[in-house]
Amino acid sequence: MTNQFNLKEIERKAVRSTYQDGLLDIYLGLVVVCMSVFVFRPSGGYSPQNLFLMLAAFCMAYMLFWAGKKFITLPRMGQVRFGAIRKQKNATLGLILGLVILVQVAIVGLTAAGRLIPALGEQVAAFFGARNVEILLVAAVGSLFVGPGMMLMAYFTDYQHGYYIAVLMSIAVFLMIYLNQPLYPLLIGSLIILPGLLSLAAFLRKYPLPDQDAAHE
Amino acid sequence: MSESSSPSAFSTLAELDRLVHEPARLAIMALLYVVESANFTFVMNQTGLTWGNLSTHISKLEAGSYVEVEKSFVGKRPNTDLRLTPEGRTAFSEYVTKMKQVLQEFPNQ
Repeated sequence: MTNQFNLKEIERKAVRSTYQDGLLDIYLGLVVVCMSVFVFRPSGGYSPQNLFLMLAAFCMAYMLFWAGKKFITLPRMGQVRFGAIRKQKNATLGLILGLVILVQVAIVGLTAAGRLIPALGEQVAAFFGARNVEILLVAAVGSLFVGPGMMLMAYFTDYQHGYYIAVLMSIAVFLMIYLNQPLYPLLIGSLIILPGLLSLAAFLRKYPLPDQDAAHE
Repeated sequence: MSESSSPSAFSTLAELDRLVHEPARLAIMALLYVVESANFTFVMNQTGLTWGNLSTHISKLEAGSYVEVEKSFVGKRPNTDLRLTPEGRTAFSEYVTKMKQVLQEFPNQ
């Protein structure tokens, strides 16, 4: 009986059910793929074209996500507006992510200005041999941008796949910057997209499209 | 069952709101209690009730002024939004309090 009145669990279950379609996994996987294709530094260096193409690809990925939610998920699963508990959680998430980003921006700023401990930099350089320590630091900071942020998002939004995706995204960003080639991040992006596609297939089987003419009451 | 607790537990049981007490309606109200609103399809999927069954229970809850039903069209599809009324929220909250009280008063076996 106690379980029946566990309202937090009922709400959490309702929230988690909105991720069953796998569309968020696919979207985040596509973001990694877009980054790996357009952010890696070509031999000719960065160009505004790189940035423009990456933004265009991000927009396309988001449009796919939005269209999937509208035309696949909503007709099958229905629509829900969550209440005060969820809004409070989202507000807390926004606040914490804002603080995390501020700290990270400060670290990046310090790194860029060359104010981080030079002795530590030399030690790390010795450990990694010939690799440029500056790139290593940028890769580590980039990775730290993505990983904890994504984990916080997963925690506050009850998005269970988010923890797995956070780890993979973090590795993808690190490899993308450190190795400067798109193959590994592309593979990691696929590892995020694949479970999403499987979830989508299971979702389509579990929730067939209801009869359009069915009277609601 | 202890002699002192039984009469109190039974009297509280008798006071339970029967409109809420029915398991299917209890599931519907519990779900609508934790969200702002949900449409018919979402409630049906979450509670596992059939279309007709859910429709019947929603009609009863609407007649008791516990649920507000808003019908509209999304594109060409009919859409029915459901939300608990303030009376429905109070009734559910009181039901949960009474039920917890009843269960606490029963001795452990």
